This record gives sequence, structure tokens and C-alpha cells, in this order.
Amino acid sequence: MSSVIVIGGGADALVAAQILARAGREVITIEGAAAPPDDGWVPKKVLRELRLEGLELEWPDPWLTVPLPGGGRLELWRDLARTVEAIRRFSPRDAESWPEFCDRMARLARFLEAVYSAPPPDPLSAGFALRARRLGRRGLADLLRILPMPVAELLDDWFESDALKGALGAAGILHLLQGPRSGGTAFRLLHHHLGCPLGVFRPPRSNVMDLLHKLPRVELQPAEVLRITVRAGAVAGVVLKDGRELAASTVVSSADPRRTLLELVEPGWLDPELVRTLRHTRRRGVAARLRLQLDRSPGFATLALAPSLDYLERAYDDAKFGRVSQRPYVEARCDEQQRMEVLVQYVPYGVDCSNLKDAVLALLSEHWGDAQPQHAELLAPRELEEFEGWPEGQPHHAELSLDQALWMRPVPELAHYRTPIQGLWLCGPAMHPGAGIAGAAGLHCAHAILGG
Amino acid sequence: MPKHDVIIIGGGHNGLVCAAYLGRAGRKVLVLERRERVGGAAMTEEVFPGFRFSVFSYVVSLLRPEIIRDLELPRHGLHILPLESTLTPLENNDYLAQWNDHDQNRRELARHSLRDAEAYDEFGLMLHQMARAVKPLLAMAPPDPTSLSLGELFGMKRLAEHFQGLGAKRFNTLTKLLTMSSADFLDEWFETEALKATKSASGIIGTMLGPRSPGTAYVLLHHYMGELDGVFRAWGFAKGGNGAVSAAIAAAAQAAGTEIRCNATVESVLISHGQAKGVVLEGGEEIKAKTVVSGADPRRTFLQLVGEKHLPEAFVESIRRFRFRGASAKVNLALGELPDFTCLPADGINGRRALRGAISISPSVAYLERAYDEAKYGEVSRRPYMDIVIPSMLDPSMAPPGQHVMSIFVQYAPYHVNGGWTDERREALGNSVVETLAQYAPNLKSAILHRQVITPADIERIVGLAEGNIFQGELSLQQMFFLRPVPAWAKYRTPLAGLYQCGAGTHPGGGVMGASGRNAALQILGAA
Repeated sequence: MSSVIVIGGGADALVAAQILARAGREVITIEGAAAPPDDGWVPKKVLRELRLEGLELEWPDPWLTVPLPGGGRLELWRDLARTVEAIRRFSPRDAESWPEFCDRMARLARFLEAVYSAPPPDPLSAGFALRARRLGRRGLADLLRILPMPVAELLDDWFESDALKGALGAAGILHLLQGPRSGGTAFRLLHHHLGCPLGVFRPPRSNVMDLLHKLPRVELQPAEVLRITVRAGAVAGVVLKDGRELAASTVVSSADPRRTLLELVEPGWLDPELVRTLRHTRRRGVAARLRLQLDRSPGFATLALAPSLDYLERAYDDAKFGRVSQRPYVEARCDEQQRMEVLVQYVPYGVDCSNLKDAVLALLSEHWGDAQPQHAELLAPRELEEFEGWPEGQPHHAELSLDQALWMRPVPELAHYRTPIQGLWLCGPAMHPGAGIAGAAGLHCAHAILGG
Repeated sequence: MPKHDVIIIGGGHNGLVCAAYLGRAGRKVLVLERRERVGGAAMTEEVFPGFRFSVFSYVVSLLRPEIIRDLELPRHGLHILPLESTLTPLENNDYLAQWNDHDQNRRELARHSLRDAEAYDEFGLMLHQMARAVKPLLAMAPPDPTSLSLGELFGMKRLAEHFQGLGAKRFNTLTKLLTMSSADFLDEWFETEALKATKSASGIIGTMLGPRSPGTAYVLLHHYMGELDGVFRAWGFAKGGNGAVSAAIAAAAQAAGTEIRCNATVESVLISHGQAKGVVLEGGEEIKAKTVVSGADPRRTFLQLVGEKHLPEAFVESIRRFRFRGASAKVNLALGELPDFTCLPADGINGRRALRGAISISPSVAYLERAYDEAKYGEVSRRPYMDIVIPSMLDPSMAPPGQHVMSIFVQYAPYHVNGGWTDERREALGNSVVETLAQYAPNLKSAILHRQVITPADIERIVGLAEGNIFQGELSLQQMFFLRPVPAWAKYRTPLAGLYQCGAGTHPGGGVMGASGRNAALQILGAA
């Protein structure tokens, strides 16, 4: 029996550890301080395989609240008909378009869900072509057209209302250093639609981490990995920060691939060309996180401050030149205990944002009535890197852009979870499908290990 | 019995190429051109006495070598003079030059970065391989991946085999080029800002995107696909201006029996029972033919010449969604003397040589992004990207002795400018171009004898290109290959029997390639 060390405590690492343990491997999971975000779609395949029961996916209802410039709010509901009525109040045309838009996007999302439920496809294989064909003529044409598109163009095709386009367009740029007019952002809108009900374009929250932690059988070690030891081109184990050494013939890392291969592994084992390619993966954190406690309900569950696509684009313009957005995109999510988590984008890595917290609180205070914030704490990308272990503050470890997606995630040479070092494998958000899809990369990685 | 087999609407270079191929196959072809001469956007005009300009498109590279060969264009007067350098003046009064001479180029790059000098050859080789990888696609009618017909399935299979044949590494590079931004792509290769900016500028030409937007790396490749006399990536002038390209193709077409009628504006396509039967000219004259080919852009062809009522609703919707958004303007200057770039004075050997090549105002990627940022909110870039050539340096017949013509391609000048294009705006555009350029070449202002400024609105009005887009529709990934101009109608056919398209609004797109015209002709011949 060979022993396996799994590095990391995220959903991918836990899923990989479970599957390997159930296959009879002796598995140790080494969990650092870093905890991944707990939102995201959980593919059915992960649930089935781990026989996970009791998964609860939550979307607030309305799933998005958007303040309108002339006062009032646009509320997008899980109930399609109710959303249509809400939109009709300020744009009958958009209300007409909404059901068909949702339907066409949902079809594409179902396709991507299937693609994400398997290891990265070979784009030139007949199997992939056949699967894509099941979308039908219009679906396939939609897919090919929409994937490379700017989300702004997609939304301009369908809608006229700035408020609606701003709120939807924001889904295209979350955690990405691109604006809504940049190519490839429509793909991100689809990505955030996965696993969602018709007409919902924000990932759910779930209790998947609780469920995974309740599963027995895998030994957890709270520790930090200092180094992955390699001997004669094969993995030999890990050295921990406290000086302990653990031997293993297989190491599965959910840390970001650049850190795993360029920092944890001693230099010299990798082909220089791969090193160069890895160094060029983009993993720029662009969002700050503000957490606070309110003394009463703010009157919304999820609030998005993006009055128009131009507003988002201008926010990006600042970040493009290395500045914090003067008027950032703000998305606030509040739970029943009045705990609020706010995403603030764009905040480039390593810039001074000493005034940002107050600015964001001021922006939000216009929308939460008499509520008073307590214990507000803002973490910029640099702090998120330090406390959460997200490289450069990027929770996806590698930005999810088209050139770093599917069979190119994070780089083509590593897309199949295997590394050139024998016994060293990658899972985690930087691997296909990654980026907020809970557990799928861990599942595919474990299968690759067991299959090989 | 109609006198002609085929009517071609529009005597632009694609229409003429299509006519020439059809003529050589024995078809009786009539080309109808709205203006007083053929050429469309590839034309030479003596705008000011003694000064001849390639008024719109101004360089040659992408014109497919098979067309030059098949139509024997050199015999019909085409003579291409190679451009041998690119000079990028910098804001600190230094410069970056790229020379065709390998050793000189290496020395110059090493002056900025040894690493870039090392990487340059490898980069060139990589682009060369990519150009080879897409070359077979250019001459192909794109197969339709959404169709289940045997022919299309076979086409897709062949396409997949072609990509498989590239090997994993090249296929991955190609996918990156298709999906990345030109700035990100170049970041992987180079560190010198001016080099990255000048190269990534190829990725924004004619496109309403900034160099940091994904999709621009493909446009960059598009501009590197050219071959001249067997050399990839070479750019040159046609002797006598780009009108000489059109003239040579027109001569080849006429030699093959094609009739060309100028001052003949087609008002509509004659349609009966879902079939194109001919055209109606302004004034009411009807000309019949079994086949009608439109070289006009998709919007004009379908929404104006054909009319919505003859087309399926979904098709019309797709044509409406096809994006044009012209982004570029042109400034043509008649000069009393050569501009003197202070970074590389014209009295030195290199300074003189640099004026025989292209001059690129692209000091940094941030400069290009700033230019784009103004344009995306509807303003003309105050400090625009410019690609400048001085054709009279290579072809003295373009200007009186001792004097010169300068052709300046300007971006971004959005078609949808706030408040619309007016004479004041046009002049303001001309002024900011001259002001910007005078920072690098202070004698320019006093050297200007005449100035012609062409906005995207002018391009639309004069040449007829919708929204002044120089490619007859943006060259973005979602408008390419089997999506150009509309999914399932990318094979030069249309929903109407007997009606074809041959303009740059079809695969593989613009840049005076002629490939659309040739591919369309081959489709028509194959169908009959």
C-alpha cells in the first residue's frame, strides 16, 4: 500500500483525499491556515461519488438587489415570472427578452456543467465534438459566438437597461483583471451560472465544506508544508515548517501550481520552458474583501452596485493603470445574522488602500437604512494572500480567462493534473474546472492518480 | 437570355478578384461599381496637384500569393516595394528601430534589452509557424460545425486532423493566440515597452479593442500572415499606391473577359421566389443574371440591397448583431520636405533609411490603452496610435521632386463619436495627429502643404464600408471563420439561391487579402 499526502484544506483537497482513501490508499491531509471560500456549485458527480447527503445550496431571494439611479430597486428573483415583472417596471423590452435570454444561457450552462464534470476535454476529439453537437444548431452557434465575446456585447445584444446590464455584466468580471468590454468575459457570466436555477447568475453558497469535514477516514494534520522532496525525478515526501519530514510516494497539492512547482519543489527538476510558461500564468488578485457585522437587517440579501456597464469599465480603467478604482464595483451579501461580506473590485495587488474601507462603507450606507456597522475589516489582495494563502490575492489561483481554462488550465502541459515529477499531482482552484467549482478538480485529479 | 452569367456588386479588390477567377473559368461577368473608378478602399488618387495618395488602405502584405500567381498580377502591372524597417520614436527622445537586416536589428534590440534581442528570433519563428498553421484555413470555405450533413462533417474532420497534425505544442500556441490579448501574449516574450507596444499595435488595427483585451492576439497574427515573394511577415507598398493593386486585378479580370461598369449604383437585388435574378440600378435599369455576388459589407448587402422581407428572421437578427464599429481614421499629408525625427535625424544614414520604412507612434502599451480608453466612451484619442509611411521615399512618382506624401493611419477615432462627426471634429482630429507627431518631428508643421483628414464617417460615405470599419466588420473571434458573418452562412452563400457574398465581411476577413473574393469564386464554380 502506498501512502499519499494531500496538501491543502479546500474542497478539492478533501475530495481528492476521500476518493484516494476509499480506494485503499493511506492518506494524510496537511491543512495550512488557508481556507477557500465556501461558495460555488458542487457538481453532482462529486456528491454521488462521495455519497454526500444533505447538501444545501442557498441563493438569497431576491438573488440580487440593484439600486436604480432614479431611486427604487430592481430585484431579481429566483422566480422567473416575478423577475420579469420587476424588470417590466422600467423596461418592457428587457422584460420580454429576459425569459429567452435565461433559457439560452441555461442551455449553454448545462453543456459547460457536463464539460466541468469530466477532466479537461480534448478539443479535437470526436467525443467532444459529438457532445457539443447535442447543443443543437443554435446552441452550438451560441456557444462558439459567446465564449470569446465581451460580456458587454452579449448584454447589448439582449437588453437596453443600464441597471440590468450592469448587474449581469458584473458576473463577467468577478476576480478578473478585465473590464466588461474585454473579450472572454461573456464566458465568465456563463461560468457563474453553472449549477444555478434558470435566471440566476450568481454562484450559490453551500454547506459542502461542513459535509466534507464530517466524513471519516482521512487523517488531518494542521501544519504547513515547507518543501516537497524529490529524489531521482520522483516525489519522496514533504518537509513541514516545524521540521518534521513525512515520506510519501504520492503528493497531491491543492496549492497554486506556480507555488507548488516553483517554490515547494526545489529548482532544477523542471524543464526551463515549463518554468517559463508557469511564471507567465496570470493570477492577479483584483478584489478586496470587507467583512462587517450590522446591528440590524440592511434590507437586502445581496446588493450589487454597478449602475451600468460603463461604470464597471471605468472601474477597470483605474485598475489597468495600477490604481484602486475610484468608483469600485461593490457586491454585498448579508446573512441572517446580519454578517455581511462585501466584494470590492478593482483593487490591484500591493497598492495602498488605506481609505478604501471608509469609502466602501459610505457607499453602502446609502443603501442599508439605519443599520450601523460594527467590526468592519477590509482585506486587500495582499492581506488575502497573507491570511488566506491566495497567491497575489487571487482566490482562483489562476485567473479564469479563456486562455487559462479547460485544456489550458492553468497551462496546457499541466492540465491533466499530472506534473513532470513522478508522483506529484495538482488539484485545487487553478486546475480544471477549479475557480469556485467545489471539489471537481479534486475528483478528476484523484481519478487520474488511480487510473495511472 | 441574360447577357451575363454573373453580376458582381462592387468593384473593390475582392469583387475584382472574384470576377477574375470567374472570368478565367469562362463565366461572363459584369462588375458594377458605384463610384467613377474601381478599387473600393484600395485606390490611388491625386488628392492635391502632383501629390498622389493611397487614400484609404496604404500597404500590401496579406494579398494571397496564390492570387498574385493565378492572376499573373505582376504582368498586369503590380510591383511591390518592400518596407524594410519600423521606427518607434519614444517620449524620451530615444527610439526603437526594427530593421530587416538581422545583425543590425539584433544590435538595436540589444541596446534596449539583451533578453529581447535573444527572444526576437524565436518569436519570429513562432509567428512564422503560426502563420503556416492558419495558412490552409485562409483558402478554405469554413466548414459549418453546426451542420450534420456529410460534407460538413467531413470538413470538420479534416480541420481537426489539420490541427492535430500541428502537434500539441503548436496547437496550444495557436489556441493562446486565439484567446489572449496581444499585450499579455507579448509579455510572455519581451520586456521592452516600446517593442511590446509596437508589436501589440498590430493587434488593435481596425478593432475597437485595447491591446489588453483578449481577442487582440489573433488580430496580431492576422497581420503577420502576409507573404511577399515567398517571405512571411513582409509588408510593402504597391508602386503607384494601393490603387495599382486594384488596377492590376481589374486588368486581369478584363483580360479574362470581365466587363466593368463604373458609375453604376446598385439599388437592390432582384428577387423572385426566393431566388436572386439580377439587380436594379439607380434609375431603374434592370440587369439580369443567374448569379449575383455582393462585394458590399453584410449590412448593406442584406439589409439594404436584399431587404429584410426576403430573409429569415433569425438571419436578419444575426446580421443586425454583426459588429462594425469603425475605429480608425486616416490623415494624408502633402509635405514640402521630409519630417525630421529628432530621435533619429534624417541626415544620418539610419535616419534616412528609417523614413523608407514604417514609423509607429506606440511608445508603450499604456499609451495605446489610454488612447483606447478615450475612444470607448465616444471620444477621439487625443494622443492616438499612428502607423505612418512615406510612400514617396520608395516611389518618387507619388509626389513632385523633393516633396513627399505621408500616409498616417490613426486609431482610435470611433465611428460612434459623441455628438456625431462634424467638420470641427474632423479638423480637431487632424490637429491632434499633427500635434502628436510634431512632438517627435518638430519640423512637420511647417512642412505641411496640404492635409486630408478622413474619418470613419467619411470612409462609410465615400467607400460605403458600414461604420467605416476597414475589415467590413470587426475581426473579433466571435465574428470569424464559420461565424463570419453569420453562423451557417459563412460559405459565401446566402439564404437566397443565386446570391453570394465575396467581401471582407466573409472569412477570412480584410486587409487587402483577396481571399474572400477567391474563395467565393471557387464556391460559385463548385456549385454550378
